[in-house]
Amino acid sequence: MAANLTAGVVTKMLSGQVRSEMDMMPILQLTDLKMVLARIQGPNQNPEAGRERYRIALSDGTSTIEGIFNSPLNVLVKQGDIQVGTILRLTVFVCNEVQNKRLVLVSHVDVIAERLDTIGNVQMTRPNDPAQTSIDQRGGAVAVNTQRVGGFEQEQAIKNEMIGGRQSNDFNTGRFGAANSPQPQVSQRPAYGAASGSGFPETSPSARPYGSANAGYGSSRPEQTSPSTRPYGSSNAGYGSSRQEQTPPANRPYGSSNAGYGSSRQEQFRAPAPQTAYPRPVQSGYHQPQPPSMYGNSGPVARNEAPPRAIPISALNPYQGRWTIKVRVTSKGELRRFNSTRGDGKVFSFDLVDADGGEIRVTCFNEVVDQFFDQIVVGNVYLITKGSLKPARKEYNHLPNDYEIHLDNASTIQQCYEDDAAIPRNKFHFRNIGDVEQMESNSITDLIGIVSSISPTGTIMRKNGTEAQKRALQLKDMSGRSVEVTMWGNFCSAEGQRLQSLCDSGVFPVLAVKAGRISEFNGKQVSTIGSSQLFIEPDLPEARELREWYERVGRNAPCVSISREFSGAGRQEVRKFITEIKDEKLGTSEKPDWITVSATISFMKIENFCYTACPIMIGDRPCSKKVTNNGDGTWRCERCDKCSNDCDYRYILQLQLQDHTGVTWATAFQEAGEEIMGLPARDLYYIKNEDQDEEKFEGIIRSVTFTKFIFKLKIKEETYSDEQRVKATVVKAEKLNYSSDTRSMLQAMDKLRAEDANPESSNYRSDAFNSGIGTSGTRETLSVDARREFGLPAANQVGQNGNHYSSGAQRPLGGVTTCGLCGGSGHVSENCPTLMSEPQGQYMSGTPGRYTGGGMPRQRVGNY
Amino acid sequence: MDTSSPSVFVNGALLRRFVGQKVRTVIQVMGSDMGSVVGKSTDDLQIFVRGSPPPSLTTYLEVIGIADSENSIRAEVWTNFGDSFDALNYNELCKLANGEFKHLFI
Repeated sequence: MAANLTAGVVTKMLSGQVRSEMDMMPILQLTDLKMVLARIQGPNQNPEAGRERYRIALSDGTSTIEGIFNSPLNVLVKQGDIQVGTILRLTVFVCNEVQNKRLVLVSHVDVIAERLDTIGNVQMTRPNDPAQTSIDQRGGAVAVNTQRVGGFEQEQAIKNEMIGGRQSNDFNTGRFGAANSPQPQVSQRPAYGAASGSGFPETSPSARPYGSANAGYGSSRPEQTSPSTRPYGSSNAGYGSSRQEQTPPANRPYGSSNAGYGSSRQEQFRAPAPQTAYPRPVQSGYHQPQPPSMYGNSGPVARNEAPPRAIPISALNPYQGRWTIKVRVTSKGELRRFNSTRGDGKVFSFDLVDADGGEIRVTCFNEVVDQFFDQIVVGNVYLITKGSLKPARKEYNHLPNDYEIHLDNASTIQQCYEDDAAIPRNKFHFRNIGDVEQMESNSITDLIGIVSSISPTGTIMRKNGTEAQKRALQLKDMSGRSVEVTMWGNFCSAEGQRLQSLCDSGVFPVLAVKAGRISEFNGKQVSTIGSSQLFIEPDLPEARELREWYERVGRNAPCVSISREFSGAGRQEVRKFITEIKDEKLGTSEKPDWITVSATISFMKIENFCYTACPIMIGDRPCSKKVTNNGDGTWRCERCDKCSNDCDYRYILQLQLQDHTGVTWATAFQEAGEEIMGLPARDLYYIKNEDQDEEKFEGIIRSVTFTKFIFKLKIKEETYSDEQRVKATVVKAEKLNYSSDTRSMLQAMDKLRAEDANPESSNYRSDAFNSGIGTSGTRETLSVDARREFGLPAANQVGQNGNHYSSGAQRPLGGVTTCGLCGGSGHVSENCPTLMSEPQGQYMSGTPGRYTGGGMPRQRVGNY
Repeated sequence: MDTSSPSVFVNGALLRRFVGQKVRTVIQVMGSDMGSVVGKSTDDLQIFVRGSPPPSLTTYLEVIGIADSENSIRAEVWTNFGDSFDALNYNELCKLANGEFKHLFI
């Protein structure tokens, strides 16, 4: 027979694993049954029903748990259907912790077998525990109250228990439903209804504020309110303690904040509160649109299948003990591990939205993570119960809520399998891109726009040495502005790939960015953060509107980027013709101009194509200043003031570049030189000077001259001995990819034609002309300047280089750029993040006419 | 440069405008036998090329010859263009060379 009992369940109930019939409907044997009396005074219509409670002990054959029967079961006991030894299936119950002891409150049972001898070898859990008293207390309000006078903690515990019972039990809602009628309690639970009615009037006036707050709060005091301690009962209800009781006025705010379920309700309570006759607040409570306040946690007549009543997220506050919210998970953060002084830990968080549009973040730590991490799925609807509300840390939490929820072991998350259409899938607070320009950096915003271009994924090195994926896109909206949106990490491969293929297929998708962070690097940019979400072609009215706009006018409308840097794949480098360097007086402004030219190397100075460089590491890169041969096999560096046994050979190539407009001289240093020559300077030096293989050397030179490259040039005017010279430095050289270059030319032609056909967009056209391909040249220039000035954080630099070197066309055509130095893709060795600032340094030291300083070779750049 | 006998850049669709004239086009080889090659033009039309193709063919093939009909060419010159060729660009070139920028081409 023992097999019939649900083995081991008591242990689980005691440990909190089984908390209600939701988890399990255990079959247990009743091993103890004792009637206790709750003494409730007043004009109780059915005093007996309200007073009697049965204290019980239930066994699963090995251990027992104590608890009480809710009053509806009294009938069964009285009829003799339930006796000691009866086997019961608990169909409605709740396990709660009271005074550190778990008690089971049984509201409905199925009687399996009427009377049997005690099954198994039952051990009483803590038989002589003081909790014994607490059971009495639960059953008998007198005891409870007298105890509570002294013990705030006890009272708190009980209150929690009561609230808990109310909140987490299904049966509550039954009463809530009924509660909207004027006399719900009378109809459903006459005894308590009356009890509450009677209890309140006797409450001392001073306690009234709490009484009302309490009512708002919704704990069910009535059956606890006994004459002897009634003031407590009421104050207690509003989080009261004796302290409150003594200082009523001061407590009112507390009571009110605490009431908390909804300010509207609270106001209603408070309005009549101070001087009105007491029953009135209670009355008003009955008429509340949200009536949870008035109902007790004690048992319902029958189980109600309705879900627990949920309160809106906006009503959550730190002063509630128990609550339930019905929410949809809008995003789920990754599981993160951290290491603090208190040891290792893990944390994850997820964001919620409810039917009223309230949003809040939930954070779980450590073992709570294990409990809930797998359960939370974005898009699902859950009932979440209990947890503490902490002030939101705005630096991590962008949601429009002052609090966030921290779940603990007592919290429950229950999935609602029936989707609730009232709860939005997501809540967006879209801003115009034009508005973003005015917003502060680091603020979080939602955007929706058309993706006009997207770059390939680039990899950048973080400061901590780990690699991060990055990819940028251009988003434009009806404000006529566009912004660069940078995707990090997994967004690059998932959403990024999809966007890329959409863009490649000629569809410019609508993208909604939820929770992007605005940054102020080179104008305004928007970047994804951990809790960001990207929605491609979302089913939103805004998306439809945008699509319509785009098809109608947006496609050809002029669009000004609020990001000065345009580093999408659609990024158009400022392509210039060689004569434009002079014609436009490039380099003469304060900052250098960065341009690209498509040009052929028409001549190359082959003497002194390289110099001997100092190999001594300074920081993480070699010094690279010129070293002089001491004649004894060592090389001396002025800057390091040291000698070394070896030296590096670094390129310093003087090139004549020619396109169909003209000729210019340019200098290419190490990395660019290697890109042009195709082999390291040392190898070339050895061929020429050690092997003295003149034929091979000239062969290499010949193979390079008259080849066409896309050069990225830095143009800057410098002064040498009172003479102004505009100097061009090759910062990057890439062999021309004819296929992609042709494509970009075709695109440029298309654009020109489109603008011819669309004369009103004259602004746009001039832009296009200006850059030679299609975006504003000035903007680009600025961006490059700014980047340089900022000291070139690798992230941006690489993103940019990666993009525009991939093809110079809207889309990369398989011309994947890889770095010869670090092996990474998306940039060339010239701009390898590991060497990021080097070209500039060289440039400085390599300037002709600078005789002091680093002792660099004095190369003349030629006839400017 | 020999301009005595110019050949017009054509794709599949443009071929019919030059029946009887000298044309040049690039096809993606679909199949070949002794006296002919079947290929796909850069605008995805089928083109038959007659003549004597070289023994081995790459994926892309340029032929210069007289347009026989709207989908066949009697080829005089066969040039392998390798396995990677930007057909899209070529197609655009054909369109431009026979349209907007016709005046630039002989």
